[in-house]
Amino acid sequence: MDFIEYLPPLLRGAGLTLVICIAAGVLGSLIGVVLGTAKASPNWIARFVASIYINFIRGVPILIILLFTYFALPLLLPALTFSRGFTAVVGLSVYAGAYMAEIVRGGIQAVPKGQSEAAEALGMHYFARLRFVIFPQAMKIAVPPGIGFLIALVKASSLVSVIGFVDLTRAGRIVTTLNQEPLLTFLIVGALYFVISYPISLLGTWYERKLA
Amino acid sequence: MIITVEGLHKSFGKLEVLKGIDCEVSVGEVLCVIGPSGSGKSTFLRCLNFLESFTEGQVTIGGHNLTGPKTNLNAVRRDVGMVFQGFNVFPHMKVIDNIMLAPMKVGKVSRTEARTRGMALLEKVGLTNKADVYPSTLSGGQMQRVAIARALAMEPTVMLFDEPTSALDPETVGDVLDVMKTLAEEGMTMVVVTHEMGFAREVADRVLFMDAGVIVEEGTPAQIFESPQHVRTQTFLSKLL
Ligand SMILES: Nc1ncnc2c1ncn2[C@@H]1O[C@H](COP(=O)(O)OP(=O)(O)OP(=O)(O)O)[C@@H](O)[C@H]1O
Ligand SMILES: [Mg+2]
Repeated sequence: MDFIEYLPPLLRGAGLTLVICIAAGVLGSLIGVVLGTAKASPNWIARFVASIYINFIRGVPILIILLFTYFALPLLLPALTFSRGFTAVVGLSVYAGAYMAEIVRGGIQAVPKGQSEAAEALGMHYFARLRFVIFPQAMKIAVPPGIGFLIALVKASSLVSVIGFVDLTRAGRIVTTLNQEPLLTFLIVGALYFVISYPISLLGTWYERKLA
Repeated sequence: MIITVEGLHKSFGKLEVLKGIDCEVSVGEVLCVIGPSGSGKSTFLRCLNFLESFTEGQVTIGGHNLTGPKTNLNAVRRDVGMVFQGFNVFPHMKVIDNIMLAPMKVGKVSRTEARTRGMALLEKVGLTNKADVYPSTLSGGQMQRVAIARALAMEPTVMLFDEPTSALDPETVGDVLDVMKTLAEEGMTMVVVTHEMGFAREVADRVLFMDAGVIVEEGTPAQIFESPQHVRTQTFLSKLL
């Protein structure tokens, strides 16, 4: 049996998984920074809005988020008809944003209150305090759990196959229907997931060593 | 008068911590605030730059009413330096950057100008050789002197100190007190909450004794320390000896 033949579709799936994970990782982190900051802010409206988003998204299975975005959103508003790849990125970003927000909030709240007060006493306004005093310290605290979440995100991304996006998982299933070799195929799929996620954990180890 | 406090009340929930404080500070005056733990000294000090909001009363500082409708709090705070018991230096910045931050980001001073000012202040607090290290390598006394330099970098007209030496090892207390003494001699207006009675006696123009959220007694150091009029003051001072 000629395996070389089946490798390209698997690699293509891996490439797409990598792309949607990078996109969702970046967008999710941005959403997380904005909402996490809002959740830790002194403004109750900002806290309220952020809480609703975070609690709602965390309470809904990611499968439902993906299915809803792909099948239900266009019924509500035809303009929100997205391609499979775009839906995958939107769904994963929305999901990642909620978890990243909690991680960022935790980082901000772990910075001692005196830091913010010292900046306040110097006459720095809220956003200057955040940018120059709170964020640099909060991000150090948030990076390790953030990295942990990104690894989980790579694995959760396998669920995008539910909307028919040919990511690594779906590519694996397609290949097995053709070659009838699930053992070898899924071993390769697993190995490719590892190849994607392991550098992220290396990044985390490197970061923690740099801080020490 | 550079500071005027009238009928200041402050409650945390049901707990009334300040029960009507009236007090004035004139330009160049050094006012020391003493009193037992929990009497509201820190709260009082923090009301002076509105780090703590208050329930009732008026605080006017440098002509600005803190609760006035047109008051820009951040602008007022730029003229009021504050030094905390726990230093609160920024651990992610080198010493010099700690000092340069507010002048550059708030005062819109150029980097070169901020650095020159910062180095001069480090010299003043005796830490020129520590400009480019991170605070974690400093002793408590050194950190507190960095915090003082950082507050001075905004060229404030008033300095507030909340037990600046209480968290320090005895060996390093003296260096911090010396810096504060120099500031006082240069004519800085200072409000100092302290347990250092020696400092209060030597440097203060006036001492204010607080207990249970009120000013029980105030007077010159000689009046307060040699002949306190109130029983509560006498009791407090006798416990210190
Ligand atoms: N943020 C807060 N929330 C609730 N209660 C507070 C808060 N800050 C202070 N208190 C209470 O207010 C009272 C006065 O506190 P404050 O810190 O002003 O006293 P202090 O005179 O500075 O004491 P110390 O000498 O111990 O520093 C205390 O009973 C304290 O528990
Ligand atoms: Mg106190």
